[in-house]
Amino acid sequence: MRRQVLFAGLLVAMTAGLCAAEQTKVDPALPAYEKVGGVSGSLNSIGSDTLNNLMTLWAEGFQKVYPNIRTQIEGKGSSTAPPALIAATAQIGPMSRAMKPTEVDEFERRFGYPPTQIKVAIDALAVYVNKDNPLQQLTIPEVDAIFSKTRRCGASQGLDTWGQAGLEGAWAERPMSLYGRNSASGTYGYFKEKALCKGDYRDTVKEQPGSASVVQGVAEDLRGIGYSGIGYKTSGVRALSLAAKPGGDYVDTDPDSVLSGKYPLARFLYLYINKEPNRPLDPLVREFVRFVLSAEGQRVVLKDGYLPLAQAVAQRERAKLE
Amino acid sequence: MPFARTTDRTGTVFSWLCGGALAVNLVLAIGLVGLIGWHGLGYFWQASVASFELRDGSALIGEIHTVEEVPEDSAQWAGEQRMRVKIGNRDLYRLDFRWVNESEIASIEYPDDLVVLERLEWGNFYGRMRELRRDGEVIASGPQVWTRFGEVYEEKAAEREAVEALERGPIGDVNYAIEGLRLQRRRLEMAGDSTAGRLADVDQRMAAATARYEALAEELFAMREELKDTTVVMEAANGQTREIVVGEVVRSLRPNAMGTLASLRLYGSRLWEFVSDAPRESNTEGGLFPAIFGTVMMVFLMSFAVAPFGVLAALYLREYATEGPMVRAVRIGVNNLAGVPSIVFGVFGLGFFVYSIGGTIDQLFYAEALPTPTFGTGGILWASLTLSLLTVPVVIVAAEEGLAAVPRIVREGSLALGATKFETIWRVVLPAAAPGILTGMILAMARAAGEVAPLMIVGMVKLAPTLPLDHHFPYVHLERKFMHLGFHVYDVGFQSPNVEAAQPLVFATALLLVGVVIAMNLVAIVVRNRVRRAYSTSVL
Repeated sequence: MRRQVLFAGLLVAMTAGLCAAEQTKVDPALPAYEKVGGVSGSLNSIGSDTLNNLMTLWAEGFQKVYPNIRTQIEGKGSSTAPPALIAATAQIGPMSRAMKPTEVDEFERRFGYPPTQIKVAIDALAVYVNKDNPLQQLTIPEVDAIFSKTRRCGASQGLDTWGQAGLEGAWAERPMSLYGRNSASGTYGYFKEKALCKGDYRDTVKEQPGSASVVQGVAEDLRGIGYSGIGYKTSGVRALSLAAKPGGDYVDTDPDSVLSGKYPLARFLYLYINKEPNRPLDPLVREFVRFVLSAEGQRVVLKDGYLPLAQAVAQRERAKLE
Repeated sequence: MPFARTTDRTGTVFSWLCGGALAVNLVLAIGLVGLIGWHGLGYFWQASVASFELRDGSALIGEIHTVEEVPEDSAQWAGEQRMRVKIGNRDLYRLDFRWVNESEIASIEYPDDLVVLERLEWGNFYGRMRELRRDGEVIASGPQVWTRFGEVYEEKAAEREAVEALERGPIGDVNYAIEGLRLQRRRLEMAGDSTAGRLADVDQRMAAATARYEALAEELFAMREELKDTTVVMEAANGQTREIVVGEVVRSLRPNAMGTLASLRLYGSRLWEFVSDAPRESNTEGGLFPAIFGTVMMVFLMSFAVAPFGVLAALYLREYATEGPMVRAVRIGVNNLAGVPSIVFGVFGLGFFVYSIGGTIDQLFYAEALPTPTFGTGGILWASLTLSLLTVPVVIVAAEEGLAAVPRIVREGSLALGATKFETIWRVVLPAAAPGILTGMILAMARAAGEVAPLMIVGMVKLAPTLPLDHHFPYVHLERKFMHLGFHVYDVGFQSPNVEAAQPLVFATALLLVGVVIAMNLVAIVVRNRVRRAYSTSVL
């Protein structure tokens, strides 16, 4: 196990200063996962589709350590997690947003204590344009003016053509073609809250059934602009730098800016568990979460395109298990 | 029709019209399958690997995937060619692909010593082999690495197979036994059966099984450790090196040094992996065997459910019920059922089969496993039943038509010879109508195999840990969740984080799904033709 951490460190050292593609690593201070005895049984997870890939990869890794456990992972949307935790059909509820107060209340009514929230990874929502689009940056009010019909973030008028966003030449007359997620998605809700100041989307946004299809759409459409997780980036699109307000600093989607909190559209991804206060947690769940927060688990986060937690955060999250 | 009367009494124009309609259909069908086939079959072909020198002094190694002209608007590079290069090495570059403009390139070469490693994790690695190490010591370097790697690879591949066999075989068995014992113990507890003897007996067996597991696990970890002892040092385009465990290499190739025969063998081996292996890297690599299996098994279960159901209903409607407003209303109702959106059936299946029936079954028979549901959650049985509801109108309509086509004279002949109504139906009418009924089944199966939406809520999952059919008693596990080709297409195409690399896989899966449907239909058609032949010689 220790060798793997060393390995990750070595890899980073070797690839420092390499090509334009962003490069990131897991925090070398993260502890390697250590196997313990007495872990068995079957682990059920029901929740977010954003986290579906990640949960699958974690489960695969966890099963490597404990070949005797069985896992079942269902990812039908973040909203399916709270009912599953309440009905106890799942021990783990992955969610791409925090639980709403009403969901927490419902849980508390059933068990008498709130669910435990564990931060497991960081996701940044990027605003993508086609790779041939010369635009480099936007402010959040501009993003709002592009995607929203209510313009709650303060823009005076909507942006309909690329010229209004500052492009010249042939681009000036070109209308924007908008891509977004369908309303069942947590990404839709998050973008609405943070980039649209809780306003309404325009009716012209083409709603896609998955994050990857937003990126595909923008990659195929020269005039396209869309939002999706940074993990879904391909060579056909470019992520814009964003500024929280007009006149503010434009921040890139590189891992450092996201981790430092300067990038305006970053969010945590969560696992929710049912932990009774002052009683030890089921070892299976405890060990799974510890695995997720270990160096191995966070390496998986990186592999899936999300950003791993820093040791300080991971430590705090691990403490919630005790 | 005045059209027919005045202008085209011979029907020449009309026959052209018919032929034209058929031609359009054919072109559409062939075009669609051709498109899927072109993209899908290309997925398995290994392209040459190019080594690029760029003008800024850096280098690239990768496969050229597409070449296109830069559109006018991209001011800097307008009018020139650019290419999308698969550079792989996801652990180094994060992205699998990169666009390169013509004017950035100083030279392109195809040296023989470029190596592609297909890995269990992180996708392909493109580069050159530098060293082979065992336990940290160099055992080969320079040009000998490639030959030596071949031997080591064989050895490690065998070891990896042994590890997988151990995981699937003995460890899987002992886990299954432990889970069974746990449930048995819980059942005894719940029954209040404190007969110490039985509980102690279960505990004893549990302890034995756990001990067996511990021993096996130790063996497994030792084998895994051994698997990791040999590594190959690879050098990527710009001189970065990466140490890769030989046991985690699926395939190693030198595409530029391969002849046609070797390329074809590689193609065959990838195709075989695709249909016979389990998926890896959250379904974007490896094979699709569990999804093929799940799709076929689900369709078969559905056929078993829908055939008797649909045929009996059609028999009643056609043979027993008196023609009248009631029967007509039922018939219209059945026909309209075929137009209900499939997701509605899915929701019905979830509410009725999964929650009501499944929940009740759990409380009655699987209480020891609660709150983890057994039948009270989606599974292959509920998925099949939901689809059989969806397809039953097709079968009823086809069966009715089949029954209606049996000449009245045949029935009357049978009755006149003294057969009862039941005997007439069973011995005469039903065999004669069988080909029509089977046609209905063929349509129903094709419909069911392509259906995705309702299954998403009644038991289809992205990755099922076990097949619904295995060597553990009772062999068929109808409560298990299953994988499906159609859902694989949806999931990889719309949800996969690495969609650029996974896109050809979507086409390959779609092609496979079409292939599976065709295969199942062919079987049904052969059966139908046999029935038809048997009937034409023996009855009439």
